[in-house]
Amino acid sequence: MSVTPRSTLRQRLFAFLAAGIGGTLAAAMSFAMTVYEAANPNVIPNVEAGSPIDTGRWIVTIREARAGDVPPTGVKPYEPKKFVMVEFDADNRSAATAFVSPRLFTFDPPMENLREPTFYLVRDKWIASAINPDMPERLVVAWEWPEEQPLPQTVRLKVGSEIYKRRDNLYGHSSWFDRDPIAIVELPVTAAESEAEQ
Amino acid sequence: MSGRLKGLAAVLFAAVVLYAMQHTTPFYSEIISQVPVSGRLGERVDARDFALVAGRVNLARALETESYGSTKTYTTSGVWILVEAVAEAKRESMALTSAEWIGPSGVRYGLSQRLSNVPGMVQTANFEPGLAMPFLMAFEVPENELSGGTLLVSRSLLMPLAEQVRMPVPDLPADRIRSTIAIGPAGGELPWTLEAK
Repeated sequence: MSVTPRSTLRQRLFAFLAAGIGGTLAAAMSFAMTVYEAANPNVIPNVEAGSPIDTGRWIVTIREARAGDVPPTGVKPYEPKKFVMVEFDADNRSAATAFVSPRLFTFDPPMENLREPTFYLVRDKWIASAINPDMPERLVVAWEWPEEQPLPQTVRLKVGSEIYKRRDNLYGHSSWFDRDPIAIVELPVTAAESEAEQ
Repeated sequence: MSGRLKGLAAVLFAAVVLYAMQHTTPFYSEIISQVPVSGRLGERVDARDFALVAGRVNLARALETESYGSTKTYTTSGVWILVEAVAEAKRESMALTSAEWIGPSGVRYGLSQRLSNVPGMVQTANFEPGLAMPFLMAFEVPENELSGGTLLVSRSLLMPLAEQVRMPVPDLPADRIRSTIAIGPAGGELPWTLEAK
């Protein structure tokens, strides 16, 4: 067993320098990348209504947008309310039954004081439960529009995406996680006539 | 020289061990997954917390229910699987909140929540120790996921290491699919009546 000789001043200086240069380089690269990404934001492609959008977990096809005072249940609420509704097809491409994320669609530019939307199953005219894999369903997402805001003529929707991680960074779970928006769909909002069932 | 060689060998050995460990580590979801208890259709299966007998498996293109005098039809793009079963709790009052149909391709179909407020559905059932309670489970699956499926029932998916009953379901030929099954109110021993149309 040999005794390790005490490192010379020169050796230590070299070690300090190497570590310092490495750290500085990493910091500079990370900073440069942040600046570059801020200067060149990813352009989200515009997709026409009616064409399928692959969001990772779902294949979403937006059909039409309408606004009115009757929610997709067909029963007018006792207190008058305004709804902005978007009809779409959702195909679950994952391996298990899943709920549509309430963050799947967001308005661009973002709307203030808007509550999370409700998803309705057209088949049942009722609030949608989880959607089964490989069984595409027609859904309607309905936002309760604030009273003080006028109903929009057109909407620009950002379609979010999800990514599957076999092992997430925190727990090692296999799960789906929200990712950046993947498409923007702009479509006119038609006024839905009141056809409430009594 | 040989010291260097030894050091190099040690580093290589460590790399191999680390690589092997990294690639054989079980997933967290596997570590805390539920303990399977296998059973067969029509026979009593005993899990730690409950005992279960799953009996008839009915297939239909649509289900019909009646509530407050109006008939509601639940259509599907696939096939409805309606399983009639009986369960009893063993130690405490409990509910069965998780049931899944695993198709032959391995895809998992959860309990349909569309009929969850129909009387007799597992979502409305409460199981008491020593009292056998009949209930229904409804699944919606594409037609190609029918035959060769497996039924999984457990108390809750949020209970790690709890016991989960797994039972393979024998072949379900397409000619057993009825066009409509009406779920009616209690008749005889069961809290529901099923009428094929």
